[in-house]
Amino acid sequence: MPVWLREHSWRQTLSAVHLSLPLRGARATPANIFCSEQYLKVSIPPFLFEAVLYAPIDDTNSTAKIGNGNIFFTLYKKEPAMWDSLTLANADKEKLQYLRENAVLKAQEKAKEETEAKKITKQEHKKYALEATMKLEEAERKRIEDLKEKERQKVTKELELWKNQQKDGDKYKSTQKKGELHQEIEPLKERKNEKMNKTMIPNEGTSKTRLKSTKGCHDSCSIFSQNLKEEQLPAPRAAATIKVNFTPRVFPTALRESRVAEEEEWLHKQAEARRIINSDLSELEDLKEEEKNPDWLKDKGNKMFAMGDYLGAVNAYNLAVRLNNKLPLLYLNRAACHLKLRNLHKAIEDSSKALELLTPPVPDNENARVKAHVRRGTAFCQLELYTEGLHDYEAALKIDPKNKNIEEDAEKIRHLIQGTMQSS
Amino acid sequence: SGAAGPDRPQVVSHVQQALSYTVFDCKWVPRSARLLCLGSAARGTGLVQLYELHGARLELLREIEKPKPIKCGTFGATSLQQRYLATGDFDGNLNIWNLEAPEIPVYSVKGHKEIINSIDGVGGLGIGEGAPEIVTGSRDGTVKVWDPRQNDTPVANMEPVQGESKRDCWTVAFGNAYNQEERVVCAGYDNGDIKLFDLKTMSLRWETNIKNGVCSVEFDRKDINMNKLVATSLEGKFHVFDMRTQHPTKGFASVSEKAQKSTIWQVRHLPQNRDIFMTSGGSGSLHLWKYEYPAQRSKKDSEGSEMGVAGSVSLLQNVTLSTQPISSLDWSPDKKGLCVCGAFDQTVRVLIVTKLNKI
Repeated sequence: MPVWLREHSWRQTLSAVHLSLPLRGARATPANIFCSEQYLKVSIPPFLFEAVLYAPIDDTNSTAKIGNGNIFFTLYKKEPAMWDSLTLANADKEKLQYLRENAVLKAQEKAKEETEAKKITKQEHKKYALEATMKLEEAERKRIEDLKEKERQKVTKELELWKNQQKDGDKYKSTQKKGELHQEIEPLKERKNEKMNKTMIPNEGTSKTRLKSTKGCHDSCSIFSQNLKEEQLPAPRAAATIKVNFTPRVFPTALRESRVAEEEEWLHKQAEARRIINSDLSELEDLKEEEKNPDWLKDKGNKMFAMGDYLGAVNAYNLAVRLNNKLPLLYLNRAACHLKLRNLHKAIEDSSKALELLTPPVPDNENARVKAHVRRGTAFCQLELYTEGLHDYEAALKIDPKNKNIEEDAEKIRHLIQGTMQSS
Repeated sequence: SGAAGPDRPQVVSHVQQALSYTVFDCKWVPRSARLLCLGSAARGTGLVQLYELHGARLELLREIEKPKPIKCGTFGATSLQQRYLATGDFDGNLNIWNLEAPEIPVYSVKGHKEIINSIDGVGGLGIGEGAPEIVTGSRDGTVKVWDPRQNDTPVANMEPVQGESKRDCWTVAFGNAYNQEERVVCAGYDNGDIKLFDLKTMSLRWETNIKNGVCSVEFDRKDINMNKLVATSLEGKFHVFDMRTQHPTKGFASVSEKAQKSTIWQVRHLPQNRDIFMTSGGSGSLHLWKYEYPAQRSKKDSEGSEMGVAGSVSLLQNVTLSTQPISSLDWSPDKKGLCVCGAFDQTVRVLIVTKLNKI
C-alpha cells in the first residue's frame, strides 16, 4: 500500500497553478514525476501523490522544480480561468482510472512521436551530408577528367599534325616504291645505273650515318649512300651451334608446375623420418654400432633378399623398423620378402603401411607407390581375392600407365574374374 | 586512374578497338601512324591486320589471313624502304612478308618443331650496324638466328645438350650490336634460366636463373654497348641487370622489383629514353618505371675484380586497362609516348603517355 502524500499546498493565478509538494524526506528525480494534460502523479516508493486536475494544462511547458525536500510545480492552464479546486472533486474511481490510462497512453504517444521526429531529422542530416560529399567527389572527378580530356585533345592534334607530315613523306615514297618493286630482283649494278638516270627522288634518310629524318619534305639524299650500305653488309655468319644446359632442380618440373606445397611436405616427412630413433635403447644395447643404423640394416636386408635369404632379410627389416618405424621403404621391402615366403597377409599389411607412409603422392615417390600396389595386388591374388588384387593393379597402372607388365597382369586378373581363363 | 600529380606522366587511353580474334602481338609500322595486329582467328588460322590511326579511331586498311596462327612479329631486321614483317607462327615457321604483296612470303623456313614464342630482329631500320638478322625462340627449347640472305639453315643454333630434357624458350632479344662484329642474343626460359649468347665468339657468355619462368627480356638499346637488360617473370617480378660490368663469378649486378601478384608479360623500353620502360601485367595493368643509376656503376671486390653496382627503380605511373592480361606492348619509334597494347580481352588499345619530356 502506498503512502499518500497529502500535505500539498497550492496557489493559482488566471493562467497558472503553483503547487508545492513536500516530500517527507524522500529524494525525487525527474523520473518519478509523471504529468499529462489533466493528470499529475509523483511516485517515489513507497510514497505516492496523484491528482486529477480540475482543468487541462499545457504539460509540455509546465515545469517542476525539485529541491529542499519539496517539489514545486508550475502548471500553465490551457484555458485561463480560476479553478474552484486543484483536483476534480467528484471524480469517481472509474473516471480516475480512465484518466490515468489515457494520460499514460498520451505520454507514450508523445514520446514515440518525439523519437520519430528525431529519427527523421537525423536521417535528413545524414542525407544532406552524403549529398554534399558526393558533390565534392563528383567535382573532383570531373576536374581530373577534364584535365585528361584536354591532354587527349592536345595529343590528338599533335598526332594528326605528325601523321600528315608522314603522309606527305609517304606520298613520295609510294611513287618511288612502285618503281622500285620490280627492280629489286635485278642485280645491284643495274639498279644503280637505272637510278642514276632517273631524277633525284627525295628519299627518307635511311643511311647509317644517322641523319635525323626531318618531317615533311626530305632533303634529297644521295641514293648512292644507300647502295653503298648494301655493299658494306657483312656476309652471313658462318653457321655454328652452341650447346646449352638447363638449371637442374630437385624435382624435374619447373617451379610453377610443381606442387610445391606437397613436395615440401614429402621432403619434410622424409627428413623427419630419418631423425626418429624410437623404441627402448636398453634392448638394443648389445647391438653393434652399425646395427643401430636403419639404413645399414635396410641395405643388409636388400642384400639378403637378393641372395635368396628371405628370413634373414625379414629379420634385418624388423630390427630396422624397431629403430625407425617411419621409413616407408622398410615396409615395402619387407612386403616383398613376405611375398616370397608366402606370408600373404603380412605382405598385405606391410604394403598397406608403406602406402600410408608414402603420402602425399608426388612424382618423387611414384616408383615406390607402384611397387607397393603391385606387391599388395599380388598378395591378394594369391589369396584368390582377385577383385581386391585388380584394384591395386589398376592403381599401379594409374601411376605408371606405360608399364607393360602391370598391364598384362591386370588383364590376366580381369579374365580370371570373368572366369574365362584357368588360373595364371 | 593512377596518381594525378601535376608532373607525373599520365597514361591516356586514346583509341580502343575490339577485335574478333585473339591478338598475340601488336607492332607499329616504322615511320607511320599505322600499326599491325597479329593473332589467331577462331577457326585456327593466322591473322595480320593493318590499321591506321585517324583522329580518335583506327581504320582497318588490310586484313591478311594465313594458314597457321601467328604468335609474334618484328620489323627489326628490315630496311626502312622495304619494311618487311618477320613473323613466327604456331607451327614453328619463320616467314618474312612484304605487306604490299603478302600472298607469298619473301622468306620462309620451318625453323622449329614447335611454336615460335618470341622473335626479334636487328640490323634493320637504319639502327645499328652489321648484317640484318632475326632470332627466334621456341617451345622446342632451341634459339636460332637467321640471316634473310641464307635460306633453310640458321646462322646460329642454341640447342640443349644431347640427352638434356628441354625447357621452353619463352623470349629472345638482341643486344650489344654496336659495330659490325659484335652481337649478343639473350634468351629466357620457362624454368627461370636466362642465357646470354655471344654471336661473335659463338659461345655462352653468361647464364643465371631467376627461379620463375622468364616471360620477356629486352635490352634498353639493341645497338649500343650493352647497358641494361630487363627480364620479367611469373609472379609479378622483374629484374634489371647492369650489363656494363661482368664479374668473373657473380656475373651482372641486378635489382629486382615485385610489381604485382600476377605475371608480367612484357617489358618495353621507351625508344626515346632508354631509362624508362613499361611493363604489362596479367591483371590487365601497365606500369611505367624509371631506372636511376647509382653514384658509381662499378666497384672492386675483395679480390680486386670489377663488379657492377645496380641502381634503383621507381614507379612513375600505373593504370589498369583491362581484366585480362595485356600480352603485347609496343612503343611508337616515331612519336614519343605513343604506344599500342593488345590484351586477351580481344581488344587493342592505343595509349598516349604524357609528360615524358619532364622526366
